[in-house]
Amino acid sequence: MTLTLRSAYRVPVILAVLVLAPMAGLLSLGQLPGFEPQDLQFWQSAYIRRVIFFSLWQALLSALFSVIPAILVARAFALNGNFRFRSLLLRLFGLPLVVPSVVAVLGIVSVYGSNGWLPLGRSLYGINGILLAHVFFNLPLAVRLLLPIWQAIPRHYWQLGEQMGFSKWHRWRYLEWPALKEGLPGVLLLVFMLCLTSFAVVLTLGGGPKSTTLEVAIYQSLRFDFDPAQAVMLALLQLSLCVLVAVVMLRFQRLPEVEISTSSPASKSESYRSLLNWVVILFAGIYVGLPLASLLIDGLSGPLGGVVSNIYLWQSAGNTLMLGLGAATLSVIAGWFLLRGSSELANLGQFRRAQLVELCGSVIYVVPPLVIGTGIFVLLSPYVDVFEWVYPVVVLVNAMMGLPFVIRTLSPAMRQNQMRYQFLCQSLALSGWNRFRIVDWPLLRRPVGLSAALVAALAMGDLGVIALFGTPDTATLPLLIYQQMGAYLIPQATVTALVLLGLCLLVFWGLERSIGGKTDA
Amino acid sequence: MLEIEKLRYQFPGDKPETMQFDLSVAAGEVLSLIGPSGAGKSTLLNLIAGFLRPESGRIHVNGEAIEHKPASQRPVTIVFQQHNLLPHLDLYTNVALGVSPSLKLSPGQRQVIKDALDTLGLTGFENRKPGELSGGQRQRVALARALVRDRKVLLLDEAFASLGPALREELIALVKALVQRKQMAALLVSHQPGDALIASDRTAFVHDGRIIALQPTRQLLQKPDLAEVRCYLGTL
Repeated sequence: MTLTLRSAYRVPVILAVLVLAPMAGLLSLGQLPGFEPQDLQFWQSAYIRRVIFFSLWQALLSALFSVIPAILVARAFALNGNFRFRSLLLRLFGLPLVVPSVVAVLGIVSVYGSNGWLPLGRSLYGINGILLAHVFFNLPLAVRLLLPIWQAIPRHYWQLGEQMGFSKWHRWRYLEWPALKEGLPGVLLLVFMLCLTSFAVVLTLGGGPKSTTLEVAIYQSLRFDFDPAQAVMLALLQLSLCVLVAVVMLRFQRLPEVEISTSSPASKSESYRSLLNWVVILFAGIYVGLPLASLLIDGLSGPLGGVVSNIYLWQSAGNTLMLGLGAATLSVIAGWFLLRGSSELANLGQFRRAQLVELCGSVIYVVPPLVIGTGIFVLLSPYVDVFEWVYPVVVLVNAMMGLPFVIRTLSPAMRQNQMRYQFLCQSLALSGWNRFRIVDWPLLRRPVGLSAALVAALAMGDLGVIALFGTPDTATLPLLIYQQMGAYLIPQATVTALVLLGLCLLVFWGLERSIGGKTDA
Repeated sequence: MLEIEKLRYQFPGDKPETMQFDLSVAAGEVLSLIGPSGAGKSTLLNLIAGFLRPESGRIHVNGEAIEHKPASQRPVTIVFQQHNLLPHLDLYTNVALGVSPSLKLSPGQRQVIKDALDTLGLTGFENRKPGELSGGQRQRVALARALVRDRKVLLLDEAFASLGPALREELIALVKALVQRKQMAALLVSHQPGDALIASDRTAFVHDGRIIALQPTRQLLQKPDLAEVRCYLGTL
């Protein structure tokens, strides 16, 4: 018994070391070259004050512009019931989760850039572009988070409302708003946090020091100013902001689950349908679909031959693939053992500890990857050439970033399995390999496949730590795209983005199918 | 044959409650346990099965102490109300798991499984998945597995609760016959006092973690002398 207990803490301890060691690296600030005590008085630097203000400001606007329209869209989806392209549209809204941010950025550029369908010209680069991209990612996410709130309103409430002659306003006031109010702060804060730590979008669309966030400033001080002391200070600032948001978020913990099934509530009568809702759905669909469609058209009519014959493209594609598969493997294995440990603790009635173990896996939500990257950089650079360790470092950080997704996907299924079959397994002496082979694997391979696919796609599309450490040899496709954009080779970058998108979708589909297996009753 | 002496268990949680049980079941007997929910009926079964660890006390089967053995090595087999079967395995494999958790079967063992399926009227259904069976058939499969495990003690934790009255009666009769033939000791937890009437000569009433009455079933249900029992039955 003590043995299983100790093993329950194994993964959390490894994770803690992985997170805390870079932190310790950060705190060794005093010994860094170029450190002056007055560096700590960041509020005296106009540059840093501006960076902090802009980080918060763009995150606030992004959150509001994503979540408020998302309320209308989710409501429209809920009230208009089942219609022809409903599940297709909801699947489209699931895409931004796996579309790499650089790819989406190029999609945005191809719609709103100077040669696009709705040109904004130079004003795209800056707050406008950042907001357009953040809304592209987070509006669909918010819709998928908010939609279940409507679906959870019991059907009898609607029927009672009808019987009592509720108007639209009454329905909103008595049925919809009270349900929404519970989940809304959590969704707003989540989107705020995601935008606060957003890196690739700001890096590519920020367009200069005027619109730089902490995350990008960290990168610039490491990569261009060679000023580790400033990077560390910025990283600590960023970390404190994130912890602050996370603490507020814990107060509104009731984050609704992402809708898994795309089926509509069978209950809603058609009388709630309205023209306005159709318009809302149409606009949201166009907003999300347009950048992807435009990217596809631009990419296919772009300099295909030139890009495809470039040896760097294939080298980067290989690196990308290795990164995706490596991170997925590591993340799923870590997640599996973490959840195993947590459910064993839960079985012993130690629910608090079980929850704590599970929380460890989500800690990366609070610690931005670039902060960990900076820590590793500071920690390793006195001893080794950091640029020779790119692959393991990038795989490790991406696996950690994927862990919250693994836990979210795997945890409910694993808990249910444990609840249903633990006694049966005990009484039939099913343990170890036999239990894995006969009970756990067949029943859990679908969520395992899905989480592996998610982590792989996220890692392959990540432009974060790789931007910090990447060299021409170790570049992944997102880094190549960023370099092409930096050289104003937008058509080439667009084609590369298409290759990346294809690779991501292929790996996602392949992993989900091969690991997940065929649908089992 | 099954002897339980001063078996104590501390229920974990915010308000700890100590349960203590004394009970003995003879070979060939099906003893019923009734009582309000939360009284400790399922806890008692989980203690006997080895899913929970008692604080102190003895569990003897045929004179042998079993309270320190892991669940799989106890001479005990249990049938739950649901989730007895793994949904992705066919009926035959589900029963075979009772013989060998690694599913390596000798010809002799195959014959044992075949006989058990035959006894429970499941011949011909071997390749069906649990999802394709009715609730009654699923519980028959669970009983078939209990049979192939060939243990001395049979625990039924509301095993028939989700079935209709006729089916319940039929399966209880089947269990009674099997228990008698194999000379097992069986405990039946049920929410339907009617089940106890069919199944058991003796019935125990569990209240607040104790067995406060152990009487002939008819007397307990039809002429209850304890206020707690009358309150539970609604005849107060």
